[in-house]
Amino acid sequence: MLAPAPTIHLQSVEKVFPNGVRGLAPLDLAVGQGELVSLIGPSGCGKSTLLKLIANLHQPSGGAVRWWGEDFSAIGREGRRLSFVFQDPTLMPWSNVATNVRLPLDLDGVPRAQAEARIMPALRQVGLEHAAKRYPAQLSGGMRMRVSIARALVTRPDLLLMDEPFGALDEFTRNRLDEDMARLCARDGLTTIFVTHSLYEAAFLSSRVIVMAADPGRIHAEYVIDPGMPRDEAFRMSDAFARICRDLTALLSEVSPRRAGEEGL
Amino acid sequence: MTVSPRAIAVAAPIAVGVLVLLAWQAACRLWHIPPYLMPAPTDIGASLAANGPALLHALRSTLAVTMAALAISVAGGVLSAFLLVQSRLIETSLMPYVIIMQVTPIVAIAPLIIILVKATMPALVVCATLIAIFPIISNTLQGLRSVDPGLESFFRMHKASRLQMLLRLRIPSALPMFMAGLRISSGLALVGAVVAEFVAGTGGSSAGLAYEILQSGFQMDIPRMFAALALITVAGLVLYGATAALQRLVLRRWQAQG
Repeated sequence: MLAPAPTIHLQSVEKVFPNGVRGLAPLDLAVGQGELVSLIGPSGCGKSTLLKLIANLHQPSGGAVRWWGEDFSAIGREGRRLSFVFQDPTLMPWSNVATNVRLPLDLDGVPRAQAEARIMPALRQVGLEHAAKRYPAQLSGGMRMRVSIARALVTRPDLLLMDEPFGALDEFTRNRLDEDMARLCARDGLTTIFVTHSLYEAAFLSSRVIVMAADPGRIHAEYVIDPGMPRDEAFRMSDAFARICRDLTALLSEVSPRRAGEEGL
Repeated sequence: MTVSPRAIAVAAPIAVGVLVLLAWQAACRLWHIPPYLMPAPTDIGASLAANGPALLHALRSTLAVTMAALAISVAGGVLSAFLLVQSRLIETSLMPYVIIMQVTPIVAIAPLIIILVKATMPALVVCATLIAIFPIISNTLQGLRSVDPGLESFFRMHKASRLQMLLRLRIPSALPMFMAGLRISSGLALVGAVVAEFVAGTGGSSAGLAYEILQSGFQMDIPRMFAALALITVAGLVLYGATAALQRLVLRRWQAQG
């Protein structure tokens, strides 16, 4: 069987910031259709930088990023869409939930009637159909993040980029949102790249985990997880999940060695 | 029984005001302080009633200058901020002059303005505007620059046009800061109007409250001076309250509670 054509292909991509700091050493990465790839690693290893290069929010200092084998102009053509979920919900506080969710469609020039028709299904996907008229200040942190996800899903993206979206949430809300994400990505065959600090989150969601190292940012290891495993509460309690977490912990400890003489708590 | 914080916020300052007035009244009566040194609140009230028409006419003149200056400050301040935000080079080139305008005491340049601008009313408005415009410029500018970086990236990622960025992102983002600037400017416009009237010494039909204060001083009619002062204070409070209410109305979505 032929391997699926990569949705994202980074070829010797590196990033040097204007202040001379080398954010990423040249690296290669290919992400195939329908994969859910997590990027984990210590602070400063370039996870978010890598994601922003894929989102075209940063330009590489060297190498090339290819989207469906083409340059960034491929986005928007043939219905190919990219959505980005930020670390913060980044909602417009002056607009209600429905208008926030409709924003990317407005910016993309989708006619108002069509855009309106897509709001409720997107909100239903994240369980917020009852909150369409509320304002961000009236929502909890978890609900705001759900609105942010609905805003990303409303464009019916082929590629979803998420930059530590649940980092600021409590464990209970985070687990629930992780389960929702796993279900949505599996159902729609979404290609997703997910940056997280939590190896448990990476273990739960991913079909592949990229472990990154710092100084300079680079790929240290890749860890493949059987995508066929159902990502539900039972999986979280299983021996297989515990084994994956152990393996990822070992890989992470390789990239965050305790410095000589550094005391523990 | 629990008292709501809102009721306390209204009742507490009123109670303090009433207590101060009572103490003031008692002190004047107990120590027989003559009205030309310190009039009792009842003397001021009597003067206000006796000179009502003249004082209200003066109040109207002062408020006309204030409102004209505030309107020009809003229009000019917002336009200036939009101009300054267009590029760092424009801001770097022009901002020092905006600051010079702000730090030059209006009392020092008011005589010059009154000489240059022949008609009295426009001269007063120019003086008041020079005082009131700065918070509008600086706050609007800061507001236009204080866009959520994530939201800005989101707009850029969706290839938003300059107009979309302005109308759907920059202007709404700047509103809270602009409203705060407006609240400060409303008070400054009144201060500017009164200061300009003092310097111009405007009399006749366009005499404002500052002229009333000056005249009362010359005539040793101290209760009338206090009455004019009280009207300025009330006008300032009403302006502040009105802009605060407008701020709450405009920004109600920002602070909407569940």
